[in-house]
Amino acid sequence: MNRLDGIRGGTPGQDHNARSIAALAANPACDRRAILDAAAIDKPLLMKRLRFDDRWGQSPFAIQRNQQFTDLVKANGAAHLLRLLRELLDLPIEEAGYVNLEDVGGHEGHLARHGHTRRVIKQTAEGLGRATILDRPLLRLDVAGAQVYLEPDVIAFQLGGMFHIVAIKSFAILDDQADTPKVSAAAREAAVYVHALRDVVGRDLVSHDVILVCPKDFTNAPTATTVDVRHQLVTLARQLSRLTRIDALLDRLPEGFSLDLETLSSGEIEAAVAAIPARYAPQCLSACELSHLCRKEAHLNEQVDALGRIVRDDLGGIESVTTALRVATPGEPVADDQAEIAERLRHVARIYDEAVA
Amino acid sequence: MGKLRTAIRQATAAGRHAEARALRARLREAERQWDTGVEQPSAQPPLVPVREQVHRALTLLGAPTAAKMIVAVDESFFGGQMANTQLTSLRRDEEKSYRSAPGARPYYLCAALTSELLSPARGLLALSTWELPQRIIGPLSPRTDFLTSAIRLAEHLMRLESASTGAFRLLGQLAQNIPGGGDGFGPADPAKVIAAAGAELAVHQERDQMDRREAAARAADRLKPVERLFGTGLKSVRSA
Amino acid sequence: MSLLHSYVKVRARERGRALPRATVRHIHLAEAPMVFVPLRLAGEAAAPLAAMVGTDPLHPTLLVVPQPRNRDLRFQFLADLGAVLLPYIDRISRQVETVEAKTPFDRCLDAPQIVVPSAGGVEFTAKLGRSSRFRRTTGPYAVEPAVPMLGRWLTFLAEQSEFAGSSLMVAMTDLLTAHWVTGQSAPEDGDLAALLGWIDPPDGMTGPEAAALADDPLTPPAGPDTHPEFDRQELQKAIEHYDVTGSTDQVEQALHGQLRPTWDRMWQAIGLLAALKESPGATARWERDRVHVAMHRAWIDGGGLPQGKRDSAVAAAKRLARLEAAQQSFEATRAFDDPLVMAEYRADGVAFAGEVVAVDLTRRIVPPGGKREVPRPLVTIETSDPVRLGRGKKVRSPSRPRQSATITAISEKIITVQIDDGMGRGAQPAEGSVPGVGTVICYTELDPGESRRAPLPPREETPWTHGGPPPEYVPTDDDAMEPWS
Repeated sequence: MNRLDGIRGGTPGQDHNARSIAALAANPACDRRAILDAAAIDKPLLMKRLRFDDRWGQSPFAIQRNQQFTDLVKANGAAHLLRLLRELLDLPIEEAGYVNLEDVGGHEGHLARHGHTRRVIKQTAEGLGRATILDRPLLRLDVAGAQVYLEPDVIAFQLGGMFHIVAIKSFAILDDQADTPKVSAAAREAAVYVHALRDVVGRDLVSHDVILVCPKDFTNAPTATTVDVRHQLVTLARQLSRLTRIDALLDRLPEGFSLDLETLSSGEIEAAVAAIPARYAPQCLSACELSHLCRKEAHLNEQVDALGRIVRDDLGGIESVTTALRVATPGEPVADDQAEIAERLRHVARIYDEAVA
Repeated sequence: MGKLRTAIRQATAAGRHAEARALRARLREAERQWDTGVEQPSAQPPLVPVREQVHRALTLLGAPTAAKMIVAVDESFFGGQMANTQLTSLRRDEEKSYRSAPGARPYYLCAALTSELLSPARGLLALSTWELPQRIIGPLSPRTDFLTSAIRLAEHLMRLESASTGAFRLLGQLAQNIPGGGDGFGPADPAKVIAAAGAELAVHQERDQMDRREAAARAADRLKPVERLFGTGLKSVRSA
Repeated sequence: MSLLHSYVKVRARERGRALPRATVRHIHLAEAPMVFVPLRLAGEAAAPLAAMVGTDPLHPTLLVVPQPRNRDLRFQFLADLGAVLLPYIDRISRQVETVEAKTPFDRCLDAPQIVVPSAGGVEFTAKLGRSSRFRRTTGPYAVEPAVPMLGRWLTFLAEQSEFAGSSLMVAMTDLLTAHWVTGQSAPEDGDLAALLGWIDPPDGMTGPEAAALADDPLTPPAGPDTHPEFDRQELQKAIEHYDVTGSTDQVEQALHGQLRPTWDRMWQAIGLLAALKESPGATARWERDRVHVAMHRAWIDGGGLPQGKRDSAVAAAKRLARLEAAQQSFEATRAFDDPLVMAEYRADGVAFAGEVVAVDLTRRIVPPGGKREVPRPLVTIETSDPVRLGRGKKVRSPSRPRQSATITAISEKIITVQIDDGMGRGAQPAEGSVPGVGTVICYTELDPGESRRAPLPPREETPWTHGGPPPEYVPTDDDAMEPWS
């Protein structure tokens, strides 16, 4: 991976996390995101260098709230969580063990922490040890040839049963309902953890039901529910397998390609980013820090994709705005494979003009 | 106030909601008077140094405890005022002091040790005067320590002639996570908490003690005195 | 969405300006709409932070919660909001007329109309309603009487907004995208500033240029979420200032700066909508809105309980059926009221228009199940629309909405329909009751008539599979005391 470090240069890296993997997997055809993520480029910093408004940071109020809630759930040997697990999984009273996997005797490197997590999880799976709640685990996943470390909130284990990924989120479950987009995002993220944990102990020992812990109604009181992430797992596995190997992508870049945010000028950064092809769609706006840059580029290139999936599908293969409008104009020459869409577009153009007039 | 609480419970249990509501209002009024009477003095700057506040709270709790809980107990049981941040460097300072003059103080605020690696357990504070097994954290220890502390707080409340509403509230918060300990609404019933926590403790205690004694023997065998208090590991000095 | 809509998007992109999607206005605009721009504290379910509210574009009322984590201040905010909204709602909803019908019913002369910037604003309003309607005005945790009353009205209005075509509580971005097509994607249209930039850019600017300004950090979002950078750089400090000094000045100033641009845009947008002529369907739907307000007013005045937390199985099914019926009827009415909307259906082949090329007025048949011969004239239309309707399909025409017809033959460009009713009682169709040769006419499968509702069992007969008859929801002490952290 020396080449990747070389691309990043002296600028500190930004590690992958479950959310970024979910975002990458949501758009597997985007080389730009794949390379930037693999090279651990600090995307918010990149956008700042290019003077784009950063809407990606989290509000300090949200961060604080999330931290407070997570602390509450984990306080006193995760007493709240144990109560919720007892209710949800029918845990017998004996199963009350709590292990903080971050306590690795001062060896705080990722490798040591991951090794410790792996060891304890394997022992637990074999019925050795007394851990029911495994706090602060560190998992690892191969993403297009790069090793990525992941930190789920908690892993819960039921003796004679299965491991469950526990996700602690501070959005409320109000009258037994939560915001669908928030639950979906949490499910996509949790699916990444399930996938990584299955690498360690095998498919059958990790439940596809993840446990979502949220505040109940308008209170701080934690409540829990299970979320089936089977669908997200299938999507994730498929998308991960579709990610082009990083080596292949790197081979297409020029010799000595650099994206060192600290030494390059903003003009050079812009040119370097532009050299990696992106695949922009409006969904990127809610998933990727680079989206505003890619959007600008897509519009400059008059890409139909930038108008949304529906428009793209409706226009059946026409890629640019100019082509679409030319094809819709009577008398303009049309390629054979566009004859059908041309006829339909000319019809809608005519009835639109009639109706507006 | 204790009588009022009992009356509320009885009224609620019997489904006499209107009565319970009226009683609750009276209780709240009584509590307000009580709070203004009792908690006023605590608004003044603390006369006790932080390390002694922590010592006093840990002695009551009787088990290795995280900073946040120590602060909460100090506030609701002793009327103290500490910030979490005041506790962050405490363990490091204590270790420095111990290293420069071992045993010069009657007690040290020290670490709890993980049973597996004998490294300092993250975030927990303990007392050097405790037996080594009491300062070992095995897989079941966070649970047994939590139950033990709940029992000790409840016993303390029963001994007191009068206690602040904050103390009852804190116990109530702990009790909701103990099967049969309470529902988290309304004031806690110390006797009920003691019974419920005791019942669960009985299930875990033997296995937990076994783990703790085994690890303690290992620690006594392998660790230097300073390590027995503050743990082994490269960064034990840095983690508090 | 339709191919037409996609095509217009492409054209708007190329032109650099939004294009019309409607020729008339499909919602009612009240004489004095109440504009409500709420903000919430990031990371919280329903912690209000601020709101700009009022009916006067020049003099908005600014409400803030100087320390949003303080429960008492939050309820004070709701009480203050109630002091603005409730007199408005009360004044309008108390003027009631009785409509003579088989069963006479009450209808308000006018109705309140709350306009929020986006769908997120409606959702947040519903949460504010949920968090306040069970509050008690006496005993522990007592709140001002305005709070639960406001909660009930906000809940009612947010619930009504789920019904397609209701104008009681509307999201401005929804209204604008129903009337204009921009050259940007749907998620981008959810941003009021960007959307309005495309529709009505400042002088000398193109749509995309104006929309790009919406991405500028200096353009505050329309809420209910604030910009994280604003939280970090301004709000946090202002709240700290309040904590230390007790002065709300800084918080008010900071939030005013975030709210005022959106406030002005809301009125700019109202102006744009007001310039469109109101459709007959919109006026009719507003009449129904006024009936619903009268019903809710009567329910509250009669001592009815606040809305429950959840619907029972039967209530949920009924509600779903009503939502679907409203959606269907709204879509059809819109198309009948507006040739531009109908064009979208023509593009997708569920409507067609063309010239009548032949009429057989003398045709008589014995209809299935009938005994006597009746007139069933045939009308043949030539169209260039890509029709996807089949033989036997029931159709209607916007120019003759009360008459139904059936497609009897269809071939490329030539379609024959049989006129089924609305021709009088004579042996021959009444004069003018059948479209004549040369008329340009449009037919569609859409039916604006109130669609029939599936009959559902009354509440007391809820089947056991759905939990049996539900208990009436009675709020408890716990509801009233539900901690709000």
